[in-house]
Formats: sequence, C-alpha cells, structure tokens
Amino acid sequence: MAISKVTGPTIKGIVSLVPDGIEDNLTDPYLSYLDQEALVNATGIRFRRKVSCTDLSIKVLFEKGIQRLLNELNWDVKSIDVLICVTQTAKVAIPSIACQLHGDMGFSKSVIAYDINSGCSGFVYGLHTVSHLLSSIDKPNSRALLCCGDISSSITNPEDLSVRPIFSDAGSVTAIEFNIEDRNTSFFNLETIGEGQKAIYTEKTEHTNWMKLDGIDVFNYSASFVPKNITHLLEHTNFSITEIDWFVFHQANKLINETIRKALVIDIKKVPSSLYDYGNTASASIPLTITTELSSKLKSGWVLLSGFGVGFSIATALVKLDAVKVCIPVVTDL
Amino acid sequence: MSEIEFLTFTSEELLVEQNIINLQTVFRDIPRWSSLNALIYISRLREEYSVIISSRQLSESVTLNDIYQIILASK
Repeated sequence: MAISKVTGPTIKGIVSLVPDGIEDNLTDPYLSYLDQEALVNATGIRFRRKVSCTDLSIKVLFEKGIQRLLNELNWDVKSIDVLICVTQTAKVAIPSIACQLHGDMGFSKSVIAYDINSGCSGFVYGLHTVSHLLSSIDKPNSRALLCCGDISSSITNPEDLSVRPIFSDAGSVTAIEFNIEDRNTSFFNLETIGEGQKAIYTEKTEHTNWMKLDGIDVFNYSASFVPKNITHLLEHTNFSITEIDWFVFHQANKLINETIRKALVIDIKKVPSSLYDYGNTASASIPLTITTELSSKLKSGWVLLSGFGVGFSIATALVKLDAVKVCIPVVTDL
Repeated sequence: MSEIEFLTFTSEELLVEQNIINLQTVFRDIPRWSSLNALIYISRLREEYSVIISSRQLSESVTLNDIYQIILASK
C-alpha cells in the first residue's frame, strides 16, 4: 500500500462554490411519491445543485473561487507556486483547465500548473500531489491552489434514475502553504482497485457521453475496501479512532457512508454530512462538507479525510486543519 | 440461514407479504423491486448476514432461490 507522509504543507483556506439552481428529489417527476421518499431516506439526498446551462465550464467556478480565496487570504496571485485542477468534466481536453486559469488570471510564469483526472477520491489525491510538490520546491513559504469539482449534470442522462438523483454540481478551491517551521505532518493512504473500473464510467455515443453507475458494485467496493484503507492508515500512524476529531468522508450516499461509519465504529457526531442539501458533488464533496458543516467548529486537532469512488479509487488523509483562516461556502449565480 | 428466515427477511425488506413469496418467486416481479430497493436489499444482506452479492451475481439471478443459493454458498 502506498502510505506516505509529508511535513510542512498546511491548509490555510477553503472556498466551496455551488450554483444557485436547486432540484428537489421529493418532487422528482420520474419517481412515484413512495419512491421519492424511499430515495431520500436511503441516499440521504434531498436537494441537488445544478447549473442553468450544462455547457458551462467548471473553470468558471474555479475562477470565482480563486478570486474569492485570494482576496480573503490577502494573497497576491503572483505568490502562487502550484496550481492543480481536479475534474472529470473539462469542456476541452486541451489545454488543461489549470493552464487556462493561469493564462486568464495573471499567475507568475514559474507556476507548476496541470490537471488531474479524478472524481470522488480527487480531493485527497489532489491534496497529496500538492503537498508533495510544495515540499519539493526550493523556496520558503511556497503556496498552492487546489481546485476540485465537476459539472456532473453535463454528463448525466436526465432519465437515468441511478445517476440523476445522486449527483450535484459544485466546485472548490483550497489554499495550501508550506512552512517547515509549522512541523505539521500529513499522512496519506492512496489505493487503486482497477477491477472496479466499470463501477462508474462514461459511455460515449454519437450524441451523448453519459455517466453510468452500478450502484451495487459501488456499494460493495466502498463497504469492502474503504474501512480497511482507513484502518491501515490509522494503524500505521498509531492513531485510534477516538483520537480523531472529525471524519470527513466523500459524500457518496447515506447508505454507503453509514456502512463505512458503522464498520469503523465512529461516533456519528464526528461525521459531518452535506448530503441532504448538496448531494454527491464528486471531488468537491470533502471541501464542500468542511465549509458548510465545520466552518465554525474547526479547532486544534486531527481530521481524517477519505475520498472513494470512480476508478475504483480510494484516498485517505490524516491532517491538521487548525490553521484554516478562511472557510466559506459560496452560492453563485450560474 | 434457513429458508424461512430468508423469506421472512426478504418480505420485510421488500415490503411484500410473506405468504405470496416463495423460493420460486421471480424477484423482479415483486412490486417494490427497483434498482434502489435492490441496492438497499443487498446492503441489508451484508449488514445482517455478512453476505456480499455482486452486481453480476444479481443480474444472473432470476428467482429468490438463486439469491438464497448464493447466500448458502458464501457460508
């Protein structure tokens, strides 16, 4: 297993962004009243966010998030050394969204900028990448911006009841700064179970490129492998479940998240959820949950972040979030 | 798990009267059967009996007996 650690990078700020368009699973026209209630009870998802036009690029959310976060932190765009974008719904394959943002927003030429194609585990994968990049830069106080999110509605078949009531549009931007004097160490356990590649995938036809989801396989892979991944990281770092202050899981659905929580015997009060109001927001779900559920509660202590899904990919991080100065959820007119 | 226990569990999870199902019942004909309820049913089998049924196993199954045999084989 690829367990790693890095000392120095610290999360300084998080902004999450959702469009103002809301869909309600309790008024879903494709479901009967009984099925609407059963769906909300099982998934924990009532409301989902959707952009008004599915041609909108996730880049627009990232750009708004970067502007807001830099402004709140009083960071100059020229002070950024690393810009990583995690998404699976880029409107164009070439160039990367990171390079588009770099060109449009006045970043310095010396920035490392590229995209990572990742979904539900993407925030932790991105955090791992950014943390190690920052630790390799020969400069004190190097800085990174990590953008995560998807316009999932752009790859959702409106008639697919396995996908549409679950996924929601959102983006996030996280600011990370390297300071070796902080002595903050983050630990990671990243894994891939490629036999699960068909649990979630896109299927391209002449006119569509819809996401397909096998709910039973996603459930089985999540329930079988995520608790083991987390347990292995905790054992490796000599942490017990009770020593962790918060467990922020990717917001898959209530059925999966509760199965994982129960398997690890975690107090439900330590497991924030944004599912009811925002649904499954792919790689934005962990930062979105931190900003919407924990912004006033983050104190000194350890937080476990675990993303899992498309791939099948699992990524868990054990980090300190006590230096977060900015933690803001933003609803934007898109 | 006995046949009776399995049918009782299934009737409770799929909200169907126990006296109208048996091992020969085609489970997709049960009125409440849907992709969502299938997922809930599979998750409850895992929670209560530690039985893991894959998507492929379920798609290849037709009757409740097919599911019951998967459960027995896993024990």
